Amino acid sequence: MIEMSRRHALSATLGLLGAAALPAGPARAAGSMTAAVYPGGWDEALRAVLAPALKQNHGVDVAFEPLFAVDQIAKARAARGVAPFDVFVLDPGPRVSGMDLKLFEPFDPSRLSNRGKLPAGYADAVGAGVAAQVVGIAYNPKKMEKPKGWADLFRPEYAKQLGLTGFGTTFGTISLIEMAKSVGGSEENMEPLFEALRKILPDVAAVAQPAAMPGLFQQGQIGLMYTNTYTVTLLKSRGVDIEFAVPESGAAAFGTTMHIARGSKNIDAAYQYIDTMISTPVQSALSQAPYFFVPVNTEVKPGADVPMKSIDDLRTFVTHDWTKINPQRPRWIDRFNREMAK
Amino acid sequence: MSERGAWRLALPLALAQLLFFLSPLLLLAATSLATDENLDTASLAAWRDVLGDSFHRQAVLNTLRLGALTVLATLLFAVPLALLHMVAGPALKRIILLAAVLPLLTSVVVRTFAWIVILGREGVINSTLLSTGLTSAPIPLLQTEPGLILALTQIEMPLMLLPLIASLGRIDPALLDASASLGASLFRTLRRVVLPMALPGLLAGATLVFASASTAFISQSVIGGGRLAYLPSLVWQQAMVVFNWPLAAALALTLMASVLAVAAALSAVGRKAAHV
Repeated sequence: MIEMSRRHALSATLGLLGAAALPAGPARAAGSMTAAVYPGGWDEALRAVLAPALKQNHGVDVAFEPLFAVDQIAKARAARGVAPFDVFVLDPGPRVSGMDLKLFEPFDPSRLSNRGKLPAGYADAVGAGVAAQVVGIAYNPKKMEKPKGWADLFRPEYAKQLGLTGFGTTFGTISLIEMAKSVGGSEENMEPLFEALRKILPDVAAVAQPAAMPGLFQQGQIGLMYTNTYTVTLLKSRGVDIEFAVPESGAAAFGTTMHIARGSKNIDAAYQYIDTMISTPVQSALSQAPYFFVPVNTEVKPGADVPMKSIDDLRTFVTHDWTKINPQRPRWIDRFNREMAK
Repeated sequence: MSERGAWRLALPLALAQLLFFLSPLLLLAATSLATDENLDTASLAAWRDVLGDSFHRQAVLNTLRLGALTVLATLLFAVPLALLHMVAGPALKRIILLAAVLPLLTSVVVRTFAWIVILGREGVINSTLLSTGLTSAPIPLLQTEPGLILALTQIEMPLMLLPLIASLGRIDPALLDASASLGASLFRTLRRVVLPMALPGLLAGATLVFASASTAFISQSVIGGGRLAYLPSLVWQQAMVVFNWPLAAALALTLMASVLAVAAALSAVGRKAAHV
């Protein structure tokens, strides 16, 4: 027995020595990091495209934590300002919240080798734009004429097909702001929107959580909704009768940005992660089936349903000032709840 | 270990409960009494907002009503099925039990989305009604309270059926014969013999269904939609979208207190019945 365990100990020691003597090959990880990612399509896409590219280019292993933008902010807040991951991925509203709460490390765009491929202003002192979203009207062409603009949503023949969702998401918020503008309101004055909604409310097809909208459209419960081009392309690829309509006042657009979390221990890997995300091969792969991202890299051409030739066109789109929207949003959310309640 | 020292066996669980259940709960209570999650300044604003506001009061009532109606609907279906199980042969017993457990084996998300397919404007029910000419326009079922109760009845059914089957199974069949031989009608036997003996299972089922239906966040938001206001989605919205944690905490505690109150009332009924 003693003999056996001695022999075991000896071989184990030799094994360890042997392993330590092995040269560190190119496959060995130069680091590892954790990145937050939106659940669903983003999670799938970044695991399939970004993670292997990061490993190949920089030898960095990335672990993903699927969280919606608001959940990332909530988690960092709950942890007293120190996020349990290295990189945030956020929409403009939560981005402004993150800045207010000082959740990000200062960002140095010159550390991105692909910075020159981004349009001006897409990398700043807090983070970098990695994708865009274009928001407009989605409709079922078998059930109705193409709507011309946001005001059409209030017309009875459209309202009875309309699915409403509130101010809980970025696309919902900016769509409702655009609808407000079409009936005489503005970012400062939502009253005309609520008045117009009250009139059509008995007829609307559904009032639902944002995540439920694509399913309701697919099942024919609704035939009209406000959404982004990504959802339209995705549903179309699954055989749903759906088209994207650019409102006459213009489609709205916003950027999705990445930020390095305050107190991150993997700053180098985090920069490499963001740099790889905006690189031409990754952006190109993400813009195609089945991911359909709107690319921010000027060398990559957006997909067929995206109403622009290159990200440079994004300047002509309707944009919103989230430093003005954020303070008002809780009130709008509450008001929407009350207005919708039966 | 002596019997007197046996309480020490419960220490690990008690400690875990204290750490991971009671202390977060106390933190929740503290948050509801502050102006923000930093707990620097005390304030009753959140509680004023919950108790003094008719919209929030209505949400509390809606939530309790949803739980109560779901309990009644599950009872309606579960009692006959459990009685059938009691008198059935072994083969049928197995089939009923399998059918009762089957819904538990699918994910709640899948079950909920399946109900969209059934209840939708172009769903199974409306297509059938339209094609048979029973209605000329689709009936609104999705995003209505009756539609939501119907879906929850299926989703929560095992929680009612299983305790009921268990408690009916413990009834000695000789008691039913005795009741019949003493001249009681079938209905009287059900009312005076079966029901009192099934009561513990029935109350356990009712408590489980009530607690589960009134907190069924996914079903409430997906099938119920944005026009029916229930506490769980308000808690989520205040915590995760609006970041008003004191209000979220106050709403969450209100939900917990309401569900506990109903559970306590049901258990009091059980104790009272046991003494009769």
